[in-house]
Amino acid sequence: MSRFYYYLILVNMVANIIACVPAILLHYHKEGTVTSMLLAVILGTALVTIFTRFFNTFPERTLPELLQKTTTKWFYLPFVFFLAVMWFIAGLITMVTFTFLLNRFLSPEMPIIQISLMIILSAIFGCLMKTDRVLYTIEIILLITFPLILFIFYKAYSSNNLEWDYVKEAVLYVNQLPNLHSFSACFFLFLGAANLLIFNRFFAKKQTFGWKQVILIAVISISTLFTSYFIPIGFNGFENIDELVYPWISTSDSLRMEFFIIERVLYMFLLFYLGIAFLSILIHWHVSFEFLKFVFNLDEIKFKGKAIGKFIPIPFFIIISLFFVYQLNEYELFRYTSYFYNSLIIIFPMMTMLLFFIKRRMKYIEQTNQK
Amino acid sequence: MSKQIKNNLSVVLLLLTFILLTGCEFKDIDKDVFVAMIAVDKSDEAGKSYKITLKLYEPTSSFKQMPEPTYSYITESGETISEAVRLLESYSDKKLEFGHSKLIVIGEDLIKEDKSKEILDFFLRRPDIQMISWMAVGRPSAEEIIRLVPQGETAAYPELFNYFDDNGTESQYIITTYLFDFRRNMKSAGVDPILPIIEINHEESHFEINKSIVFRDKKEPYELNSLDTSLFNILSNSTDNADFYIKEDEHYLIVKIDSVKAKKKVQVQNNSNLKLDIEINLSGYIAESKKQLVNKQLPYYNKLFKKEAEKQFNDFFSKMIKGGYDPLGLELDYKSQTFHNRQMSNEEWEEALENAQINIIINPGLKSTGVIQ
Amino acid sequence: MSSLETVKWINEQFKKTNELTQKTLKYEDKHILLFYIKSLIDQELLQKLIIKPFFEMATENQFKLYMQALPQFQEGKSTEQIQLEVMNGNVIIVIQNEIYLLDLKLSNNDQVNSTSVETTIHGSQLGLSDNLMTNINVIRSNYHKPSLCVEYLVKGEINQHKVAIIYDNEKVKNDVLDTIRKRLQNVDKQVITSTTQLNNFLNDKRLSLFPRMIMTERPDRLVYNIAGGKVILVVDGNPQALATPAVFFDFMTTMEDNYHTLLISTFLRVLRYIGLFISLLLPALYVGITSFAPEVFRTELALTIAGSRVGVPFSSFIEVLFMLFFMELLLEASIRLPKAVSATATTVGGLILGTAVTEASLASNIMVIIVSAVAISTFVIPVNEMAFSIRIVRLFFIVITSVFGLAGLTLSFYVLIMYLVRLDSFGEPYLQLYISPKNKSKSEEQI
Repeated sequence: MSRFYYYLILVNMVANIIACVPAILLHYHKEGTVTSMLLAVILGTALVTIFTRFFNTFPERTLPELLQKTTTKWFYLPFVFFLAVMWFIAGLITMVTFTFLLNRFLSPEMPIIQISLMIILSAIFGCLMKTDRVLYTIEIILLITFPLILFIFYKAYSSNNLEWDYVKEAVLYVNQLPNLHSFSACFFLFLGAANLLIFNRFFAKKQTFGWKQVILIAVISISTLFTSYFIPIGFNGFENIDELVYPWISTSDSLRMEFFIIERVLYMFLLFYLGIAFLSILIHWHVSFEFLKFVFNLDEIKFKGKAIGKFIPIPFFIIISLFFVYQLNEYELFRYTSYFYNSLIIIFPMMTMLLFFIKRRMKYIEQTNQK
Repeated sequence: MSKQIKNNLSVVLLLLTFILLTGCEFKDIDKDVFVAMIAVDKSDEAGKSYKITLKLYEPTSSFKQMPEPTYSYITESGETISEAVRLLESYSDKKLEFGHSKLIVIGEDLIKEDKSKEILDFFLRRPDIQMISWMAVGRPSAEEIIRLVPQGETAAYPELFNYFDDNGTESQYIITTYLFDFRRNMKSAGVDPILPIIEINHEESHFEINKSIVFRDKKEPYELNSLDTSLFNILSNSTDNADFYIKEDEHYLIVKIDSVKAKKKVQVQNNSNLKLDIEINLSGYIAESKKQLVNKQLPYYNKLFKKEAEKQFNDFFSKMIKGGYDPLGLELDYKSQTFHNRQMSNEEWEEALENAQINIIINPGLKSTGVIQ
Repeated sequence: MSSLETVKWINEQFKKTNELTQKTLKYEDKHILLFYIKSLIDQELLQKLIIKPFFEMATENQFKLYMQALPQFQEGKSTEQIQLEVMNGNVIIVIQNEIYLLDLKLSNNDQVNSTSVETTIHGSQLGLSDNLMTNINVIRSNYHKPSLCVEYLVKGEINQHKVAIIYDNEKVKNDVLDTIRKRLQNVDKQVITSTTQLNNFLNDKRLSLFPRMIMTERPDRLVYNIAGGKVILVVDGNPQALATPAVFFDFMTTMEDNYHTLLISTFLRVLRYIGLFISLLLPALYVGITSFAPEVFRTELALTIAGSRVGVPFSSFIEVLFMLFFMELLLEASIRLPKAVSATATTVGGLILGTAVTEASLASNIMVIIVSAVAISTFVIPVNEMAFSIRIVRLFFIVITSVFGLAGLTLSFYVLIMYLVRLDSFGEPYLQLYISPKNKSKSEEQI
């Protein structure tokens, strides 16, 4: 696969360390999180494989285009709009979470609206770019931030204060039945591949997606899940771990760089994770924008000869995001996020069925064309 | 072209409005005053439980011109810690900045009152307090500890930090406990948190840190003397240095250990019988002797050393187990190898630990008699 | 039109100036008429090539054949062409009712200059000259391939300057070439005097911040760029050439990168990128940390900064702008000043002002260190135009940081990256990593 494909998957996985995923996992630390994680790795990798294989057979085609060919208008227009909303919410969750984080830890005096506004504006600036340019941006920002994030993880793993006995204690809760909320939170990590719905436009050449790639994705996901769940336990203990609102912030604050000009890892973590979170918002909202463009045919809307269609969703994005930033508190954010994740584990298996349907239809269309 | 200029102008205008929007959050660094240490004591005033003392860095324009450190102190009592801190904020013309505070000292009187969880809550809840602050117990009071500026202290880095920092002294008697560490062990069962005790040597006005104190739920905190503190440090692998005194058969030796490796293992036999396997590798050299030593005799010295060390560690374990304290995390070790639904209850565990069979193996490794024989 | 009429017409055209010299040579039965502008032609050559043979040749026919054999020979076709060629330093010869043109241009500017902006330790120290022909000569003698193409255009309605487009026929991307031709066609300026001016005219966005064409005076860089499939533009009378499409990384490479061993050039590159980051981010970082998040730095450093700011009357934002303003003034002044004075100006500005400012506590010590570090690291950026862009972006960053704090700085840095990625340089993405062979581009990086 092209390296850009892995960026999509990686960003989605890594970005969720900062979002509610670890908090949800740790909340159910005594109710079957470990088995949920294992189950999610198996099912998630399967889902990634199905999605990727599907889009590999239709290079340069996006889902809306395929739907347009194979289904009727009254089905695909509402459906794509629904997808746009889903992707908007996915970006929104990351945005609200990070706004809260910045407000709490970096600039408590700054109004929360101002913080969120700057994230929203910069993300929207990026969303309007062409798909290939979005991917180039992802690559460059990842190149800058990811080594430092890896360094922080290395720092965590090599720290003397990481108590492996707590980790072992947590692992021993493996003899429980999986739990729905933990499962859906883990499952969300794999949905990076679903961004292919739009980003497939970029992948022009036929790609190979064999066992090697599947194993690579499984390995990446396992290590991400392991890090995001067990490292906070190693630093903060097993019992009462659920009282931490931001487990990874507390964990990164437990690290210390003795010799660097920034002593508290927390700030490095926050600022560099801002990059990853930003990318996650950028990807989700770009997909959402493209869906909206398709549904409302925004490219056609012109004002005085200038195509202004693509600017129409911007005020809606801003206003809705600001509304949620203003309204939600941490608890509600946590709860609604969990609901959102839960809804995804119903939607995506259904989507795979849709994909099979499209594939059969496309085959049929091709056959009739040949005749 | 003019449209483009219009667009750009609107961007500039937008930026300008943003600039006007703010201004209230803009605060310069010289309007902040940094807290160096926080001391929490029992208040003498009636109706108030806490007395908070803050040690503040006094900014100087150049540390070269002012090599002597200058600090200021503010103290206030309150029913809760945050009440006291709120009052303290009105005592300073600048904004109190807790983000640089590196040490939290709790007064000895307060320790006895079992209020650690309450105190901890305040420090954990505030986002600006470092989770990597060191925790310690101050004797006789926390306030006295932070008010002492020993001679020869350099500006901007209080001497007290050097004790806990890995860069300064690496004494075997000093226990380093971070705030997150303390919280972790406090909140989850398995390890009893331990804090160092800071004392003041009044005649020479310097600190003495060689004792420690172990906390356990619903129990009086237990104080470890300096020998036990160093043994704890060896057992938890947090030091590489140790001294042992051997006095036997007219030999009087001091053994200097420079490499320590301790392994502990809890084994459960027939459900309730515990067996503790402790294996400690100690290697080093002989640092001092009253008699002349012979290189050839090193195995013999090793034997002497092994006997002495075994005795000391045995004493340590029996003290801990009899008192029911577990700073080494034996219970956690047990929990990390048993499924949660098959674990014994707390009472069963305590009973089992009391009857545990302790098996200590010392692997002495005296490599040399020093530079001379 | 007969030659007589033409002669008349030419005389008419130049009536207002007394520059045009008309000379009639008559000897035995030979008769020719010469027109030329005295200041444009090489008089010695005229004497050697025309006047002397004229008196030695036996017949007029022989002389005519001799003329046709000269390498400078050109036939005069239209009156407009003749007029133009006269302005370019040709001599008009009327012989037997026919009009010949001989290029006897005197060029005093065909000396190759030594490089002054892009100096390197290794490699050639010679740059281009002010003369277009010499420049093409230099390029051709460094790039021996028959596929090297040169196209000439005349631009500038009033001053009629010559512009050359140079490219390798086999390597150039045709759509890039077409855009350049089209854009050049659209340039309808009255006067064109320099390459950089052309750069601005070719750019379709007026308010673009980053250079889309790389300006260079080094022939080796030009050759390198031609080999990389780029198009070179040279304007007569300019010792600089333009290479395009240029992407961001082109502006961060020097020719010397290829002359060093891998380790050294990697080290130098890393150094250069660190310099870029420092000059971009350091002042904004200072504002962000001192004013929004003083707890980020380790305690000792925070105390030092806080201490050094004691008594400074401005807030950090104003302080940074104040010092940067003087630094920019200093930079600007040292370009304009004569070389002899500029050293003094730098000393007065840099050393004396810096010390005095801290003495008077108008700025903190740390601020002076930051400003000088920023100034030095700006010089590390190899291409001058990029350094100018960075200086402006830096100001944006300071403003944004003083509003949005450290997170704002981080985000605006990402926005800058997106802005760069979004830009096009004649169809090429401006900022893009070249890793996979699939996307291999003919950029400088790749060769």
